[in-house]
Amino acid sequence: MKKLVFIYVVLISAFILYLYHYHLEISRFRSFYQQEKALQGKMDEKYVMVTFQAGMDYWKRCLKGFEDAAQALNVSVEYRGATQYDVNEQVTVLEQVIAKKPAGIAVSAINPTALTETINKAVDKGIPVVLFDSNASGSKAFSFLGTNNYNAGVTAAHKMAELLGKRGKVAVITLPHQLNHQERTKGFLETIYQKYPQMEVVAVKDGKGDSLASKEAALEILNEYPDVEGIFATEANGGIGIGEAILSLENKKVKIISFDTDKRTLDMVKQGIISATLAQGTWNMGYWSLQFLFHLHHRLTPSLQSGYPLLPPYVDTGITVVTKANVENFYAK
Amino acid sequence: MKRRINYLRIDNLPIRYKLISLLLVITILPSIGLGSLIGWAVDRIMERQINENTFQLINQVNKTLEFYVSNMQNITYLVAFNPDVKRFLAEQKGIQGMNDDYSIRQFLQGLTTLYPEVAGILVVNRKGEYISNEMYARSPKPLTEETWYQEAVKNKGIFKIIGHPMHRNVITHANYTNKEVVSAVRAILNPNTQEVEGVVLIDLKLRVIAEATKNVRLGKWGYLMVIDHRGENIYIPAKPFIKEIPRQWFHGDFGAFSKKVHGQYLQFIYQRSPFTNWTTIGVFSNQESALEIKEIRFYVTSFVFFVCLFGIGSSYYLAYSLSRPISQLISFMKKVEAGDLTSRYHDDRADEIGVLGRNFNHMLDQIQRFISLAEWQERQRWEAELRSLQAHIKPHFLYNTLDTIQWMARKKGAEDIAEVVESLSKLFRIGLSKGKDIISFAEEIEHVQSYLSIQKTRYKDKLHYTFDIAPELQKLFVLKLVLQPIVENAIYHGIKQRRGPGHIWIQAEEQEGRLLIRVKDDGVGMSPEKLASLRESLSIGFTLGDTEKKMKNIKGYGMVNVQARLQLTFGNSYGLWIDSKEGQGTTVTIVHPIIRHIT
Repeated sequence: MKKLVFIYVVLISAFILYLYHYHLEISRFRSFYQQEKALQGKMDEKYVMVTFQAGMDYWKRCLKGFEDAAQALNVSVEYRGATQYDVNEQVTVLEQVIAKKPAGIAVSAINPTALTETINKAVDKGIPVVLFDSNASGSKAFSFLGTNNYNAGVTAAHKMAELLGKRGKVAVITLPHQLNHQERTKGFLETIYQKYPQMEVVAVKDGKGDSLASKEAALEILNEYPDVEGIFATEANGGIGIGEAILSLENKKVKIISFDTDKRTLDMVKQGIISATLAQGTWNMGYWSLQFLFHLHHRLTPSLQSGYPLLPPYVDTGITVVTKANVENFYAK
Repeated sequence: MKRRINYLRIDNLPIRYKLISLLLVITILPSIGLGSLIGWAVDRIMERQINENTFQLINQVNKTLEFYVSNMQNITYLVAFNPDVKRFLAEQKGIQGMNDDYSIRQFLQGLTTLYPEVAGILVVNRKGEYISNEMYARSPKPLTEETWYQEAVKNKGIFKIIGHPMHRNVITHANYTNKEVVSAVRAILNPNTQEVEGVVLIDLKLRVIAEATKNVRLGKWGYLMVIDHRGENIYIPAKPFIKEIPRQWFHGDFGAFSKKVHGQYLQFIYQRSPFTNWTTIGVFSNQESALEIKEIRFYVTSFVFFVCLFGIGSSYYLAYSLSRPISQLISFMKKVEAGDLTSRYHDDRADEIGVLGRNFNHMLDQIQRFISLAEWQERQRWEAELRSLQAHIKPHFLYNTLDTIQWMARKKGAEDIAEVVESLSKLFRIGLSKGKDIISFAEEIEHVQSYLSIQKTRYKDKLHYTFDIAPELQKLFVLKLVLQPIVENAIYHGIKQRRGPGHIWIQAEEQEGRLLIRVKDDGVGMSPEKLASLRESLSIGFTLGDTEKKMKNIKGYGMVNVQARLQLTFGNSYGLWIDSKEGQGTTVTIVHPIIRHIT
């Protein structure tokens, strides 16, 4: 009987030893391969960016930011958008995207009201939605990331005053029916009016967002008010159009402040045709939109009592003034 | 001296240990065998399934990649079909002059609207002039000198994937680095002259390839990677097991192999897509399956352990329950061996050991009975001996007296009286024979002759007798006083009751190693009933204890006495045999062993 007890003790202790060894080995193995994955999603989480005029170069930087964030968070992204400047098309595209139940949607609203209902539908279905670049302030979207357009106009006004020595006549070429352009124009006009009494905005014209139309508008302004010394374009094609107009008129010295940093605008800044352009934080819009959506999808932020997640409702992605001095930094590396 | 026991010999091992080892062997060995078999089978099945699954996954990924690449190829054709692009390549100015450039940009923008996975499209003519929305040259160096351009020209209108662009003079405005795109080119040929008119360059975002491959997880830590035909990585995850895979490891379009890399074994499964010329490789660590196998092995070991635990306990108990009665039996037998015949095996178990014990008990019973029988027989013999001794003490005195009478008779001239008395004294002397049991046959004959001569004096001519015994037989030894009672019987129950003279023949012969002494008379004989009763009296064995009682009722005490003495001395194969016919006489045969010497 003693022998039996001895054998049992030996057996059990051997087994416990084995258990311990096995556990040790497994945990060593696990820890060896365990990668710390803070803020990592799954590849089957798909976040969608929805825009209008989807082929526009402007979005490409936003999309790059969106993609870079996806890379960092290990999730998938998709880019969708209305192919043209068409409200109904964007609603349709957004509906299609919602039907696929993505992990989150970043929308740039073609107009402040048209998308509200569709966005609300997505939020009600539990799909996180953030807006970027163009807001739809009446919607249930959790956040808006974009340029503060009024401030952009203010900045443009200050820059223009600096260029002209705080005096002289200026004009604006804009898209008068689009909210962000209206705000830019408003910021510009109010600042000139309030801060620079020796300056005057003599004309606000519609450039239709097209370089050809803008060129014609610029020529019209210069024809009407030959003493105009500076023109502010609220979008990139406008700036190019003005530049082309100035080039067509010899010995005409007009300071141009444009918007955005597409290749041709940058080239004109470099050549000195455009004095300054306002660079928007487009990459940041895309990048932080995805970060916000990721946080919403994974419920990483604490919720308010109403179940509404705690996120900054408005993020100003900022404005940078690009002049000949720093234009090189805005070319692709 | 104690025997040295070699326990290494199986025969010498105690039964208990044999049983324990047997039970352990039949419980633990199969479970160990089963365990290792399971481990082996699982290992094989898992490997096969992993390989199959991986091939399927790789196939799916390859299809996705082919889809994207074929889209890129289609875009190059769409670009080439565009009339504005055609004009641009042919270096003709359109009707609207500058507007050609604008409309081509619009057209290209349309393409990127449809294919967001395209990072950029660039069309370049053979002068080095180019149109693109997203891309522009870094330096004024003509793009026709670029390697990708040369590559496109070399492939003569066939779609060609370059891989990650390197050191090229083209940049995307959205800041896609060379690592983030995969580029492809196609030269546009003039269908008539087969001259190269220009090249379309397309950058595909690596993201879509990464998404397609990253989505596939092989086990816990395995992954997929894509390399191109030169062995350069198209896509590789952030933390790979191995950064570059040498081309010589691959043989053929698909397969599997395993290699040791940085101290761990990696399993590679690959398949090449003939369209993209890319090889998708599944890489996973053998350690992972090793971990799972370890887990299975752990369960098996635990199972074996519990079998051991249970098996040892139960085999110990079983062996003990088997060997304990055996050792009990052994100690009991030792007691018996020491002389204690009264001890008995006490157990009512029904198995073989119980049977063995009960059989042993039965054997002990038999031995005891035999011993008591032998004791009884010995006592019987002694009693018979004692009786015959007592019977002879009185004749001893008588014999001396007879001698005196003989001499007195001779003195007075009564010769016949002297003769009778002499015979009588001779009879008694031989009858006593100094207390010996065995005497010579000659003496026995003399004893009977003396007896007969006395009886002759009494019966005169009514009794006649004849001895027919060879002299050499007379040298043999016989049990004393076996003849006289027979002869006496022959006279009293045969001759005496006969009318007229009777005759007694006494013969002896050696037959089949036995001495047969025959006493034959021609007296009245016996009726069959009487003969049967006499035979029955003689046939009563002296081995049975209860015969004492019967002895009292038997007829012919002398005959029975002779029979008893013969059988007690020599055994049951010797004794008397009687044959008789009424009116014709009786023959009594003494069956006696041949004894040539007495010790």
